[in-house]
Amino acid sequence: MKKIIDVLPLAIFIGLVVVLFSFLSEKDDQLETVLIDSSFPEFSLKALSDDSRILSKDDISDLPALINVWATWCIACRVEHPFLMKLKEESILKIYGLNYKDDKNKALELLKRDGNPFEFSIYDFEGRLAIDLGVYGAPETFFIDKRGVIRERHVGVIDEKVWETKFAKYLDE
Amino acid sequence: MIPELGHIILITHLILCLIGGTMPLLAEYTGLKIFQIPIKKLSVFLFLLISISFLSLVYSFLVDDFSVAYVAQNSNINLPDYYKFAATWGAHEGSLVLWILAMNAWIVGFLFFTHAKDRDFLASVFSISCQVMFAFSLFTLFTSNPFERILPIPPLNGADLNPSLQDFAFTVHPPLLYFGYSGLLIPFAIAVSAMLFSKETKEWAAYSRPWTLFSCSFLTLGIGLGSWWAYYELGWGGWWFWDPVENAAFVPWLLSVALFHSLITSQNRGIFGKWSILLSIFAFATSLLGTFLVRSGILTSVHAFALDPERGLFILGILAFFIIGSLMIYSIKDFEHGEDKAYALTSKEFGFLLNNLLLVVLAVSILFGTIFPLIYEAVTNGKQISVGAPYFEIILFPFAIGLGLLQGVALYLSWEKSTSFDFVSRLLIESTSIFALIVLVLFVLFDNLYLNSFATIFLASWIAVGTLQVSKKRNLGYWDFLRKRLSVTLAHLGMAILVLGVGVVSSYSLEKEIILAPDDSIKFGDQVVKFESIEDSLGPNYFSKKAVISFDDGKDVSNLITEKRTYSPSGQLTTEAGIETEIFKDLYISMGDNLEDDIWSFKIQIKPFIRWIWLGALLISLGSFLAGIKQIRRLA
Repeated sequence: MKKIIDVLPLAIFIGLVVVLFSFLSEKDDQLETVLIDSSFPEFSLKALSDDSRILSKDDISDLPALINVWATWCIACRVEHPFLMKLKEESILKIYGLNYKDDKNKALELLKRDGNPFEFSIYDFEGRLAIDLGVYGAPETFFIDKRGVIRERHVGVIDEKVWETKFAKYLDE
Repeated sequence: MIPELGHIILITHLILCLIGGTMPLLAEYTGLKIFQIPIKKLSVFLFLLISISFLSLVYSFLVDDFSVAYVAQNSNINLPDYYKFAATWGAHEGSLVLWILAMNAWIVGFLFFTHAKDRDFLASVFSISCQVMFAFSLFTLFTSNPFERILPIPPLNGADLNPSLQDFAFTVHPPLLYFGYSGLLIPFAIAVSAMLFSKETKEWAAYSRPWTLFSCSFLTLGIGLGSWWAYYELGWGGWWFWDPVENAAFVPWLLSVALFHSLITSQNRGIFGKWSILLSIFAFATSLLGTFLVRSGILTSVHAFALDPERGLFILGILAFFIIGSLMIYSIKDFEHGEDKAYALTSKEFGFLLNNLLLVVLAVSILFGTIFPLIYEAVTNGKQISVGAPYFEIILFPFAIGLGLLQGVALYLSWEKSTSFDFVSRLLIESTSIFALIVLVLFVLFDNLYLNSFATIFLASWIAVGTLQVSKKRNLGYWDFLRKRLSVTLAHLGMAILVLGVGVVSSYSLEKEIILAPDDSIKFGDQVVKFESIEDSLGPNYFSKKAVISFDDGKDVSNLITEKRTYSPSGQLTTEAGIETEIFKDLYISMGDNLEDDIWSFKIQIKPFIRWIWLGALLISLGSFLAGIKQIRRLA
């Protein structure tokens, strides 16, 4: 009898660890699956470069394409910038920018200085579209296939390796 | 170069921790001399290594080395030097290095101030601590390396330190908390070693007590500072929010308090040995669990850390390895049963038992409330619920009453059996008089009486009188007695002051949302509040709207300044509250939204006795620290 009491703390603790572990893996899945295989959400926002131009989902017309969430305050975005430029220069696919909670002038200045890999950038100052997309932060990149369906999502810097392992396969479909 | 140096030294630290974590145990179980290592020297060397590693990170911050990713993400060229320094532990990666540094400091302290004849026992404590440090270093290097570089193109300016962390209290609050959390490593390592070596309860409890007290002291101070920071920085005027992160610190605090009380009994009477071991294990477990909850992203809170499920998995792994390991030893270990000593319901032993029962059940309830939203979400397939202040307050109240009543009489009790109960009538009369006096003072000050504050005010008087009158029981002069028992007097008195502060502030506070244009005024309690002026101003790394608001109570006029700051690198907004502190109350104003032109909304508050909460916490922290020192001296 005495022994069972001695094992009890162990049993309770293992139970707790199992429960926590299951939450952890669940959270993981949620991040990956949200919006995957659903079509790109509707939106109506100004263009970064032109206040009078209102962009909507239909403007993302040249598919397949990448949607890249970026901002000038995001250091990692500058790290991936050269890679995005390379994708553009080699005409691998079109990239659309989602400028996220940023200072408009700084953003335009950065594109002027470092080059503009985007067909256009949606200016999402309040993060409306970002909320619909479930954006975690910048940088983040979404792959949209020919039918306008989100197929893949990457949180963090996109580089050669990420491109090869995560995105390139959808291009051949 | 310097970041690489720090990186390599951290790796060296990791390897030496592995050696320190295995050799002494090998020496013990094989009996081979080869495995014996000089633990004191190694502990100091390890401490030097981790300090250099930490300092090289500090250096990278001070010289704005933005090629280091962690620096680039958490600092900015325009950040004042002092905050650059503090930014070192401002986010996840750097705080881990500090955490390891803190653990290492405790180990050095333990080895140098514990005068045990049994060298093997000390070696075992050292060894287990090294294993934990090894796990933390591994975690840091593999999932959260602060020395990682951004190459080839480092950014020019850096993203900036989270603006709400650019503040004095917040630069000190995390290190204190980390020292508190990591200090619980020592009781844990002692408990495991005590099981391995079948140490006598009285002996190991004596080794463990000072370090538990120190941990508790740092935790109290850290939590208190966090609460103070939240009060003036977040702009809500609250001092405790039952946020998951706060709970994650509150639970180990409760357990550390339970533990050192239990250790007093173990050390003096040789009982509660198994219980103290379990508490040591779980106090350490909850301090790790807190880290897990906060940094894996499974709970959301105001304390945003960079979230990463992989990190969560790693911490969970560390937690599972050490706690399951130690509980397995606990479950198979044969404990000696010769310790059962009889004690009466009126004994000090029983008092401590009751104290522990209340504290532990309270800790479990709070932990449950913190994790419950997760369980609910899982069971109902994604429906979300938040367990907030109402739940926790309902839970806390009966326990606070029980603990407070117990605390008032606790110091009168004697071991085995208390014989005289003369003190009860005296305690009742005196605490009732003090209670009446406080209520009277409150009535004079605030022109109002709130019945719902009576219970807490009485409790505070009860604890205070119980603490200060206890000398009458012994045949010592009053002041001699208090001096002799300075630490416990300070700590228990601190609790009385804290309880009083909580009781008064939660019923006597006034608050109101107002909309004012410049030169408008409004009546608020006995104050006339006037919006004097508003102007733009420029800080080192932000611009702000500064509003001057005057409070006039007919006698004095105080001008309060509240600000809305926009930090330029990140564009983040923060509100700086304007606070005027008096002994019995705070006047508090925080700026809301700009409605049009110069018309703004404000939140104004009067917070009576709020300072007493932190004063109480300060005394508790000081008391436990002194108690720890006293204990070390006694053992020397």
